[in-house]
Amino acid sequence: MVAPSEQDQATGRLTIPSFNWGLGFFGPLVGLVLLCIVFSFTSEYFFTTRNALNILDQVTVLGILAIGMTAVIITGGIDLSVGSVLAFSMMMMGWLSREFGVPLEIAMLCAILTGAACGAVSGLLITVARLPPFIATLAMMTVARGLANILTDGRQIVGYPSWFTSFATVRHFDFLSVTVGVFIVSVILAFIYLRYRPGGRNLYAIGGSPEVARLSGIAVKKVTVGVYAMCGALSGLAGIALAARLNSSQPSAGLTYELDTIAAVVIGGASLAGGVGSIAGTVVGVLIIGVLSNGLNLLAVSPFIQMVVIGCVIALAVTFDTLGRRNR
Amino acid sequence: MNRVFLTTTSAIAVAGAALLGTAAQAQDDLTIGLAVANLQADFFNQIKQSVEAAGEEQGIEIITVDAAGDAATQVSQIQDLITREIDALIYIPAGATAAGVPVEAARAAGIPVVAVDRNPPDVPGDTFIATNSVAAAQELGDWVCEQTGGTGRVGVVQGQLGTTPEIDRDTGFRAALDDCPGIEIVAQQASNMWMQDEGFAIAQDMLLRDPEITIFFGRADALALGAAQAVQVANLDHDVLVVGFDGDFAGLEAVRDGVLDATMTQRTQGMGRMALESAIALINGEDVPAEQLQPATLTTSENAAGFLENHP
Repeated sequence: MVAPSEQDQATGRLTIPSFNWGLGFFGPLVGLVLLCIVFSFTSEYFFTTRNALNILDQVTVLGILAIGMTAVIITGGIDLSVGSVLAFSMMMMGWLSREFGVPLEIAMLCAILTGAACGAVSGLLITVARLPPFIATLAMMTVARGLANILTDGRQIVGYPSWFTSFATVRHFDFLSVTVGVFIVSVILAFIYLRYRPGGRNLYAIGGSPEVARLSGIAVKKVTVGVYAMCGALSGLAGIALAARLNSSQPSAGLTYELDTIAAVVIGGASLAGGVGSIAGTVVGVLIIGVLSNGLNLLAVSPFIQMVVIGCVIALAVTFDTLGRRNR
Repeated sequence: MNRVFLTTTSAIAVAGAALLGTAAQAQDDLTIGLAVANLQADFFNQIKQSVEAAGEEQGIEIITVDAAGDAATQVSQIQDLITREIDALIYIPAGATAAGVPVEAARAAGIPVVAVDRNPPDVPGDTFIATNSVAAAQELGDWVCEQTGGTGRVGVVQGQLGTTPEIDRDTGFRAALDDCPGIEIVAQQASNMWMQDEGFAIAQDMLLRDPEITIFFGRADALALGAAQAVQVANLDHDVLVVGFDGDFAGLEAVRDGVLDATMTQRTQGMGRMALESAIALINGEDVPAEQLQPATLTTSENAAGFLENHP
């Protein structure tokens, strides 16, 4: 599935190619700062506290999804189902609370569990049925989208209690909404786990070389299922955040989010070949996508030109990342 | 090092885009935001072009954003428009049912909202402009009844389930068939994206199950065009009446050429101009009715050519 890195072949030892994470994260950060400077000079509305908070609001869902995706991509996998699982989880939450009177707090928990279950199924398809991750999660993408529609026959669920929608709308201390807070806390936990916990380091080992990782005593299958389950659970969490933001659950929500998420993670310096990537880089990647679309909107750039600009930035980012990797 | 090069390049790309943006900015002092559901759909694109053309005539800056069918994207875009200090918002909601969140946000910022095509049920816009779809679909149903002499078997190619247009067109068409007991709906199936290839596949499957279908109703012109294609491929021994809805350019051409038998032409150009006029009236504090429902025009081969030249 994943070719061992050159280091592995040379030394035959378990190596962690991404250990110089600081370097990989610096490049995109410079890009983000430059983008911000350009927008600050071209739009009077860009460099304001209010707009900065708007951007944080706008990237929250993408950001939560990208945390799980980072972990999956580090292990050398891919998860195409995050958008559909997000929709299925948010529909599950609305359906349980609307049809069965389940208290919303418990329904929220069920949404996260639904996501985790979907992820675990993907993980089992990959490890037990030995499907390539692309195919396994493609199947899950279709199935979850179907299930999301089946729950209410394609109708959306509107009207959550105000305490729930206030998660996304009320800014505590004029600064932090609950959903943005959840995003930031998730980022910190994921950062600590991936950087300092042995479990997190194992993900890099698996991405570098699953075979070497297995020989060195890592339970590769178990960890893989766990990573996809966690990615699914985070999709469920993102679904809750999106439901609060939209004040509704829609079975069509999250269409093509998997592509935005993968783009953010890769812009942040992760390699689709596995073994490389960092949460810090991903956060910067997410912010680049968020700042780019926010800034282009503020500049009143035509939607058709926006698509071209965003596409070019993604292509450039990945091009220079791969060129840089070859030279390193 | 390479990253720095990347970012410089992207910065240049953005700066280029910025220039294009500012070129359109040197206008009058009024700025109106236009949030479109999905520019890939011809219907919305026509409204967008009409609003932009009317804005240019009057020297009003129109800022257009496209949600590509995603409600969450649209909320973000409207947030950006509000930051941009627009004077009024023309809102064509994305998603199955319109979200009220953008209207609330605009209202909190003191910005009037003109809802077009769909209206958030919980927080309606200051005015709502749309086609009276129920009445239009009923008129179409009556025409079908008349043309077929009151007998027939109908296959319905539905739009996206749960959307207002789908529900209204269903209600109107069924109301017409209630007065026409010889016509029976024998099959109906939903599409996801209102697209022509979906219409083709769905109609083909229907004809396979029931070759005796004599009428197809595509809930949008694209769906009807797909159904017409399926009828042609099937080589049936009887004629099939195919009708659509919307009156977009492809649909009108097909009606003119006899590929479709009829469609209901919505007044997209008129709705776009009316949306802009209502927005200006609301900015000036004038009273605008809460609902401004527009009729659609029954279009057959007789009047299709005229609409192609000059779309209502």
